[in-house]
Amino acid sequence: MNYGGDEVQALVLDIGTDTTRAGYAGDDAPKAVFSTSYGFTVHPPAEGETGDDKSMPTKLYIGENGPSIWRPRMEVSNPFTNGLISDFAPIPAIVSHALIHSLRTNPAEHPVLVTEPAWNTPANRERMAEILFEEFQVPAFYIANTGVLNAFAAGKGTALVVDIGRNTASVLPVVDGFVLRKGVTQSALPMLLHANAHHMLTKPTPTRLGIDLLPHQLVSQKQPVDVNAPPNYVPRQDRVSYTTDSWKLWAEAREVDEWVSGVAGVLEQGWSEQHALTKHPRPYEFPTGYHTVFGPERFLPGEIYFNHAHLAASNPTLPKTLPTLVQTALANCEPDLRTPLLSNIVLTGGGSLLQGTAERLNNELIRSFGPKVKLHAGGNIIERRFGAWIGGSILASLGTFHQLWISAEEWQEHGRAIVGQRCK
Amino acid sequence: MSSGVAVNPACMEKFQELKLGKKLKYIVYKLNDTNTEIVVDKTSESANYDDFVADLPEAQCRWAVYDFEFEKEGAGKRNKLLFFAWSPDDSKIKQKMVFASSKDALRRSLNVALEIQGTDFSEVAYESVFEKASKGA
Repeated sequence: MNYGGDEVQALVLDIGTDTTRAGYAGDDAPKAVFSTSYGFTVHPPAEGETGDDKSMPTKLYIGENGPSIWRPRMEVSNPFTNGLISDFAPIPAIVSHALIHSLRTNPAEHPVLVTEPAWNTPANRERMAEILFEEFQVPAFYIANTGVLNAFAAGKGTALVVDIGRNTASVLPVVDGFVLRKGVTQSALPMLLHANAHHMLTKPTPTRLGIDLLPHQLVSQKQPVDVNAPPNYVPRQDRVSYTTDSWKLWAEAREVDEWVSGVAGVLEQGWSEQHALTKHPRPYEFPTGYHTVFGPERFLPGEIYFNHAHLAASNPTLPKTLPTLVQTALANCEPDLRTPLLSNIVLTGGGSLLQGTAERLNNELIRSFGPKVKLHAGGNIIERRFGAWIGGSILASLGTFHQLWISAEEWQEHGRAIVGQRCK
Repeated sequence: MSSGVAVNPACMEKFQELKLGKKLKYIVYKLNDTNTEIVVDKTSESANYDDFVADLPEAQCRWAVYDFEFEKEGAGKRNKLLFFAWSPDDSKIKQKMVFASSKDALRRSLNVALEIQGTDFSEVAYESVFEKASKGA
């Protein structure tokens, strides 16, 4: 077998909750990046049509012309729950969009390296192998752990990887190139941040109105207005009654995400109103045309990564904060591993790009664990957003990696069991 | 997960020389230019620890084995073999990735118990290495 050599370029596929990333092994960044959330419409069979098939035909809309294009009665869904694929039905269509439509490749001609989260189940990874071998006829396959890829991409065999994704924040102890499963901790912290930001924006404050997060797809015209003045816009009445709840939720969530990435931040030294007031306020305009300037409140949602104290009621079921996640992960590792892990913390994931996160996490951890803490946060945004993809890209581009691929012949011969044996 | 990179037999030969010959002080290893094999970059008999640190490039990954000699309080001189994984923050991400995923092959064939993972010069400074080496000696 001679896969992964210079002649046959491998493909790297990293399907996350927020985005799916695909590209050629050896490249510095993925060529295709699109939303993993997808739109679908259900078409009842035309009258007179009969058939044994009870399920109604469904049309999927994926990628750049997917959920972001408004369609009558289109619903939006996402195959992930808690960072794991919980619904495999749309996965073949997502893979096909990534490899065939976006990259314009024939997957039957390229080995494909796929990523998986540290807490993936054996059944899930085997299903992924099955889809690629059986439905896409890939000649070779490998599934690599995102925790290990992120640690390696930072040059570390041993590291404590803090990965903040779209819905899940996780802390993964990696020791000598393997994830220590008993130390893996995670929580839905980013979802709480998102919910908090959504709530905060829609509620009025003494200095601004409550914000209508109506997406631009439902705005027909808007007039320029003064800062803080009520927006003056015409909604697309023709669309309102054909808009589904799931699409509206998805579209509003996108507005919140945009606001978070453009305006929100976290204070490096912990919350203090005085300190927040010294930071420059940021202007922001919403699709309705309403625009305002965000002062200290733009630092409130980010506090959730570090403490819950400012939330109305303290609730023990709230997702664990980053410092608590780190603490729990370390407590589940052997004591002599704690120092090497603390001095090799790797911060990654799109959620870690929230302004100030690296500095604050560093400060909080030094306060709890002392000066041995050393945090490594990948220099540029691309590396932080696509750390796992880039790691996979480098690995799969190595000529020597061909020994590790599971070939189609091996899959035929050994079946599912080979995935667990080969991809450790 | 590993890169599948091989270890050149000379790596082991030099290591045996250091272990048994008691002349070599340290060996620096690197990847060859095509990233297919781990090779010997340099050997040295210098007992000056600063010379060793000077042989670790500022923005390039390396591995090394060092025959570390130190004074244990009340127990005289001790020797300990140390394995260094040198991966400075300023090196290219590709090199970091290939080195990190290839380290196991070298370390397993040399079988050195104590590893020092270094990303900047403070982590390979004499004092911090001494602290790790003297623990449990």
